[in-house]
This record gives sequence, structure tokens and C-alpha cells, in this order.
Amino acid sequence: MIRFRHVPELKLWPTFGLFVIALLLLDTHGLGQTSPPRARIIQRSGLPAIDRGVMAKDSREPGRRQSRAMQALQSDTRQVDRLGSAGARYLPGRVIVKFRGAMTAAGRLRAVREASRSGVVVARQPQVNFDEVRMDPGEDAEVVARLLSRRSDVEYAQPAYRVQLRFVPNDTSYAQLQWNFRAIDLERGWDIQKGATSDIVVAVLDTGVALRDDSIKFRGFAFTLNGLNYPALGIVDIPFARALDLAVAGPAGDSRFVKPFDFIWDDSDPFDLHGHGTHVSGTVGQLTDNNLGVAGIAFNAKLMPVKVVSTEWDDIFGSPNEGSDESVAEGIRYAADNGAKILNMSIGRTGGARSAPVVEEAIRYAIGKGCFIAIAGGNGFDDGNELEVYAEIASRIDGAVSVAATDRNRRRASYSTTGSWVELAAPGGSTQGFGNAGLVYQQTYDFTLTDTFKLQPAAFKPPRFDGLALVGYDGTSMATPHVAGLAALLMKQGITKPAAIEAALKHFATDLGASGRDNEFGFGEISARATLRGLGLAK
Amino acid sequence: MKRLRSGLSLALILLAITSPLAAQDPQVKIPELAPDVALRPFFLVTGQRPAASETFEAVFGQTVQPFFGGGVQLAFSNGLYADVAISRFSKSGERAFLDDGEGFGLGIPLKATIMPIEATAGFRFGAEWSSVVIPYIGAGVSSYKYTESSDFAEPGDDISLRGTGYLVVGGAEFRLHRWVVASADVQFTHVGGILGDGGLSELTGEDDLGGVAARFRVIIGR
Repeated sequence: MIRFRHVPELKLWPTFGLFVIALLLLDTHGLGQTSPPRARIIQRSGLPAIDRGVMAKDSREPGRRQSRAMQALQSDTRQVDRLGSAGARYLPGRVIVKFRGAMTAAGRLRAVREASRSGVVVARQPQVNFDEVRMDPGEDAEVVARLLSRRSDVEYAQPAYRVQLRFVPNDTSYAQLQWNFRAIDLERGWDIQKGATSDIVVAVLDTGVALRDDSIKFRGFAFTLNGLNYPALGIVDIPFARALDLAVAGPAGDSRFVKPFDFIWDDSDPFDLHGHGTHVSGTVGQLTDNNLGVAGIAFNAKLMPVKVVSTEWDDIFGSPNEGSDESVAEGIRYAADNGAKILNMSIGRTGGARSAPVVEEAIRYAIGKGCFIAIAGGNGFDDGNELEVYAEIASRIDGAVSVAATDRNRRRASYSTTGSWVELAAPGGSTQGFGNAGLVYQQTYDFTLTDTFKLQPAAFKPPRFDGLALVGYDGTSMATPHVAGLAALLMKQGITKPAAIEAALKHFATDLGASGRDNEFGFGEISARATLRGLGLAK
Repeated sequence: MKRLRSGLSLALILLAITSPLAAQDPQVKIPELAPDVALRPFFLVTGQRPAASETFEAVFGQTVQPFFGGGVQLAFSNGLYADVAISRFSKSGERAFLDDGEGFGLGIPLKATIMPIEATAGFRFGAEWSSVVIPYIGAGVSSYKYTESSDFAEPGDDISLRGTGYLVVGGAEFRLHRWVVASADVQFTHVGGILGDGGLSELTGEDDLGGVAARFRVIIGR
């Protein structure tokens, strides 16, 4: 199927129209020329992605996690665990004991009865070499085990200590690359809330997403970059591929994306022409435990890609709109009106405080409709540490938070902007002291295939958006989806009000830096398990 | 049959520990034969509104919490009394978070158990054995054992704490039968040392595990 995404209205008579079309096909004009025809043709005939592996210099063979989480049955009818002397919980009414040598059943029972008034030895399972003692739950299993252990005919005895879940995704590069999830105690958080569910929609306001396998016909204009003149590409077929670790192939994968929209190209196909949005979407909700690539936080949630930022290729291909406060405000409102409950904004700009009323109004509108919003705190510490306009808005509104970046050692990432508007921190990654191992990895485009505008003009060629790799990025852009993903889990867990989500994230954050809130980390680094588990009466 | 024997045995014991005037008409006073003291067991049902009501409501969805228990009272003929009661509250709720007074349940089961041991001394007004209504007041000390356990707990997450405090109580006894007395009273208890240092109670600033309780007792004896 071929269709036009955006066709300029032609009001000339047919002959002249054909002449114009012929000129368009031969056009070699550069960017910035008056009224460039902005059209792209999407051909639903793309090939699947080319897997380009891990984009890191110290890439190693991906480790494979063998251990899997154990599933524990939860039932209202089970006995409440007893608390052991060392703080470990154990099942009441049970002791595990291994007798030495071959003792008769009567001998085993005699031994048990000397330690427990009600103990009986249950029939041994054929595959084990120990016995299970069942007794009155009122008896202290630790005491009984201790008494049994003192006997010369007992090799060991212990209570049946409760085993905890540990969900460790089997994604092939998870263990090797994703230090960032363990940094926020996400594995134990997943034990409580495993990836949210499909009724939670997270909108990613960004550069779009690696949406699907397709081929798009663009017209590439000439441009100048860093003083170099690049020739026009003319009409080119650009291949795109779906990020298969975000959405599986076919209709089943299509449903992962809810009401996508593109405010740069004014249509509902927000193809990512950069890779940033795909990376960010991956941290929010990369498919997880699928034996592929890396993991995402809210991996069962739906994603709403909303393209509000234009990048180099959008400019080179002459997109009808560019990213601005306007497209951002439109995107926020669109997401809120179309069912998103969490908005991730790994975007921003510097400038004066309160200089984006259109965005602030949109943020307030979205929160009023029940959306929680996470906004990047900014990467400009080394560039004057200017005020981040969107992050500053977030700091004044309950239900929106600004996010700073931490590194592997839980220090402020060197680039992470500091200021009174910083509210929370999350892993944003940094190569300083860690090399590539300090980056945040997700599946996105192989930038050696996409960033051809960085080549010398003689080597300049059309990009390919069908080569995917696990690419390490750093930035508060990478930190922000950690917060959005956790917010999605939290919303599923039961905290539905945006202001309450913000309060919970702050309350349970791990305080870093100066005690209490500070300008580097805000209230601290988010902590998944503590936040999802909430509070009891006394603890 | 076994149950019947047990019941009869209990009745005989109760008869033995109560006044020798047990068989007398309650309207007939024979002071010279009145005992100096009577040992009176009782059963106890309490509906307590905890001082930490916001905390309890967030976890259990309601503020009034039931306690069940019993005890024994020494009632002196001069009106003084002393009693010891032990009761128990055990309830399942869910872990929660509070923001701006609004509670959000997180669906993680939590079980809390409170076991108060209370010793009270006081005065029963007009405490002739024959009186139908006997008002009383008292004061005493409380020792509360509190345990809290919930799913997804790891070592150190579940807690078992003990706190002490004081109580004051006032109410009245109503004689229903020669050997059966009902009482209703209101008891105020303050128990520190358990709440307020963590969990929702820290968030709400509620540090008192006690509260105001309506207590109903069935007292066996005169």
C-alpha cells in the first residue's frame, strides 16, 4: 500500500501541475528555500530490522542469566509467616530435618517428639534426602529445629524459611548491560508489580519510535552543516524497521502502540528519524523476559509515541513542522485526551522561568485529566547550568516531576543540570569513570547507519533506519523514563492520583548528596521496591 | 457428653470461687456473711477507635477496630476492684500510601495483631452484692504487643514491638442474673513506643496505638 502523508494542494491547471511535479523530482534545492514541497510516501513494504548487536567498544558476548524467579502462591488462607530471631520469615508448623544414617520411622518420630510435643514426620518425597516435620503452628519451629540439631543422630534441622521472589529477566543482555535497573532496586520492585498491564498507557513525547517495517519515500534537500555544504539527496527510499524488542512483528505488535501521532509531520505515523525516542521508549517499556536484548520497566504497559521534536533528518527531509513549545503543548494535550496516564518528556529547553505558558497550561491540563508527567532536568551543567524551562514548570506543579541523572556510583552525572527545580534523580548514565559500561542501554538505531550527515559531503548518503542495535546513551533523557516507568508500575499498583505518585516517589527516594532535598538530586534517587511496597502502620 | 462434663466442671469452679451467698436471693442482704472479695472472670468485646485513626483507616478501610478477650477481676466488698484483662485484635488489610489525607491501597496484604494486657484498679460505687446497677471508674497501665507482617517482606521488614501506656475507664455494671453481670464502659488508652517512628503513622504524625474504646463485658460472679 502506498499513500501520501502530506501533499501540498495544487491549484494550477493540470499541465502546469505536471510540470511542477517534474521539477520536484529533479529538484536539488537546499533547506531554507521558500515553500519547499514537504512530502513523504510511506510504502508498507519494509523488511525486518537488521540486528547490529551492542554499540559499545567494550562489547562482550552477552551473558545469559540462568536463574529465574520463583513464583510464590499468594493465598488469603495460608498461615501467616513467623518471624525468626534473625529477622527471616518462616512457615509455621514445619521443620526440615536430615537424620544421620538409616533411622527407622519409629526412631525418627521418637527423636522428633523429644523436641516437639506435636511433631510428626510426614512421608518423605522420593527425590529428597531429608524429612519434613509437621507440628502445631503454635510451636516455635526455630526452637524445635535447634533442639533437633543438638542430637547426635541429626545432621541438620532448620525451619522452612520463606523464599522470596526474584524476578530477573532473561533478556540476553540484561545482566551485562542494565546496571541502571538494579540501581533503583527494580528486580525486587518487579516482584511486587511485574511490568504493569495494558490498561496503563505511557505517552513518550519525543522523536517518535521505530514504529514498523516500512519504506518511506522522502525528498532530501541540500543543507549546510558545520560550514560544509551537503548535496540534495533528491527522492530517496528510506528503509525503516520496527524495534522488535519494543513490539513484536505483525498486528500483535501494532497493538503495543496506542494512538501514535506525529506533530512534526502532522499524521499518525511518528517514525523516529533519530533514535532518541526509540531508546527512551525502551527504558519505559522494552519487551522483557523474552530472551532478547534488554529489559524495560513497565513492559506490559502500552506505549503512545507522540512525536513533538524534529531532528536533523526531519529538517533535511523538509518536515512541515519543527519541534517547539507549540508542538510540545499539542503533544501533551493530545496524549491526555487520548488515554495516556503517564507522560514521559525527555525533552526540554533553556530560557527564562515562566517563558513557556503554553506548555505550562498544557501540563496543568494533562495533570487535571489524571496524567503524571516526568520531565528531564537538563544536561547543561557544563554549559552554564542554565535554567531548564520545562523542568522548572514541573517543580511548581504537583503531579509533574523534573529528573536529574545519576551515574553507576550514584553520583550526580557530570552533565546533569542542578537547580532549585530538580525534584528527583534516576540513572542517566555517564562514561566518566566507567567507559561504555556506564551508559544506559536500549535498543535503537545503529547510529552509524543513520547519522550519515556527520560524514564528509563526498561520503554523504541516505540514512537507513532498519539497523537496530543495543546502544548506550547518557543524559537526563535516559533518567526520565526510569521515573515514568516506575510511575506506570505505581499507578497499576494503586496510586492513581498524579500528585500522590509524585509524593510517593519523593517519599521513598534514596536520599543522596546533602541531607534532604538538594539542588543536585532533589529528594534523591527513585527506589522501585520501596515505592511499590508502600507503608504499613508502623513500618 | 465430654463437652457437657467440661461445662459442668467450669460451672462448679465458678461457684467455688464466687461468694458463698451465691444461692441467696439478691434482694436479701446478709452483710455478716458477705465476702471481702470476689474473684470474677469476664469475657470482653471492645470496639476501639484508635487515636491513629488516619493510619488505621488507610490500611483497614475503617477506623473502629474490634478486640476480643477476657480477664479476671478482684472485687472487694468495700467497692475497690482490680482486674487484669488480655485481649487481641488481629486483622488483615493492605499496605498503603497517604497523600494529603487521601489513602491509596497498594494491594499488598498486611496483617496486624495487637495484644493488650491491661491492669486496672478502681472503685465500684454502691457495690453491694445485690445492686442491680453499679457505676465504676478505674485507671491502670497497658502493655501492648504489636506485630505487623506483610507480603514481599524481607528480613527486618516485619516487626514485633511492645509499648506501654496508661488507661482510664468509666462505666457501669448491670446485673442480668444472679451470677451474670454485664458491663459497659468507655476506656481511654494511650500507648506510646510503637507508632510514629515509621510507616504510615510517621507520615500522619500519629504516635499513639491506644484510643477510645467502648468495652462490653460479661462477668461471671457476683
